[in-house]
Amino acid sequence: MGLKEEVVDVICNTLEVGKDELKEGRKLYDSIGVDSTEMVEVVVTLNKHFGIKIETNEVTKFSTPEDIVSVIESKKQ
Amino acid sequence: MSDRVAITGIGVVSPCGLKKETFWANLKKGHSFIDKIERFDASLYPSRIAGQVHELDHYTHLSGRLIKKIDVFSHMALVASEQALKDANVDLENIDKTRVGVFMGNAIGGWLFAETELRDMYMEGREGISPYMASAWFPAAPQGQITIYYGFKGYSKTIVADRASSALAIWYAAKTISQGKNDLILAGGMEAPITPYALLSANTYGSLSKNNLNFQKAYRPYDLYRDGFVLGEGSGVVALEKESQAKKRGVPIYGFIKGIGFSSDGYHYYQYSPDSGSLEFALESALSDAGWSKKDIDYICLDGEATVLGDRLETLALKNVFAKELENISLSAPKSMFGNLLGAQTALDLVATIFSMQNDTVLPTINYEMSDPYCDLDYTPNQAREKKINKALIIARGRGGINAVLAVERGK
Repeated sequence: MGLKEEVVDVICNTLEVGKDELKEGRKLYDSIGVDSTEMVEVVVTLNKHFGIKIETNEVTKFSTPEDIVSVIESKKQ
Repeated sequence: MSDRVAITGIGVVSPCGLKKETFWANLKKGHSFIDKIERFDASLYPSRIAGQVHELDHYTHLSGRLIKKIDVFSHMALVASEQALKDANVDLENIDKTRVGVFMGNAIGGWLFAETELRDMYMEGREGISPYMASAWFPAAPQGQITIYYGFKGYSKTIVADRASSALAIWYAAKTISQGKNDLILAGGMEAPITPYALLSANTYGSLSKNNLNFQKAYRPYDLYRDGFVLGEGSGVVALEKESQAKKRGVPIYGFIKGIGFSSDGYHYYQYSPDSGSLEFALESALSDAGWSKKDIDYICLDGEATVLGDRLETLALKNVFAKELENISLSAPKSMFGNLLGAQTALDLVATIFSMQNDTVLPTINYEMSDPYCDLDYTPNQAREKKINKALIIARGRGGINAVLAVERGK
């Protein structure tokens, strides 16, 4: 599984939304109407899953799945 | 005649049914819906029985995404609200949502969510706690969730007044409608006290029945061998609007909210005052607010705390206020069948009273077997009776004597 698929998997499982609802290149807020408390849960789950430390202001509801992948890649380097 | 506040929709989530038809059919039978608590280990609790809601997930219309963010007390209120809106045939597409409000009452908040998350916080640290905790547990959470779910933007309120919470919420809603501030209000209450911590707190109050072995006989208001009430959980919601608007929309009217009386004992932080004067004042005020005389009343839905003092004081207050008129007034405590829902109780009592009016039936007080010389009224023991009810009062008493008496009139 590629990193992007893994990220999409984590987001969808955490928020209980379908994978087809997350759209490529679209902000999470626009595609699935995510709110800021949901983003806190997403960030905490991503941190646990990837063993990294993202701050809640680095990944927000206005991030796209691709933005999140970039942040994770930068943390892993 | 002034434009009355009409009840045009009903939603109910209760230990004896999650639909209004089931709720009524079960109550009419006069059976107990009290059961042992088995959803967690309650074996060391002095009182470990309750009226419990089963199969909420089967009746829900909510997504898993939302359910995980809210406590069960909000979940029950959202299910009851959906029923009430559908029952009232509300056109959600075309209604002016800035004039729709939500008025709810509960006494304790959402403890299952709170205690679970606090445990995680102390065990796992800051990141162990759900970000939804902040918005899930507090008493106004159901009001917020209902308004968000439907996009209602009108004046709304949550009232916390122990076991009188939903009585006051329903009255506040009726007043808001009659003043023309909102066109439609969902009013009622919700309570979910069957959780490890909430049950412990309720036990320390000392007014819960400990008759765990004979649980279906445990809640026995006015009976000589009563030893306290039994907890219940659930939600009741009614849709309120002006009579003129209901008629214009062509929807059936179940009944009318006519008035309220309230008072505080001003005596102790959880005990009742040993005289019944304060409750009498609330009863008199409700009559006066509704513009009714004592002989107008056909039925009184009782508080029925099932404690030695509570039932005696309630009986004494009724005798002092109504005297000889009591011969023509039917009395009962239907909550003896499904438990006392604390802050949500009056909402359920209101729904039960409305159905009693619609069906010309007085619901029974169950488990009344041995008469107490101080509680010697006819409480409609054990079996429902036929009677036409046009005007009714509903009594709610909270800890320390927060007294509320709601006046309700029959619709069609």
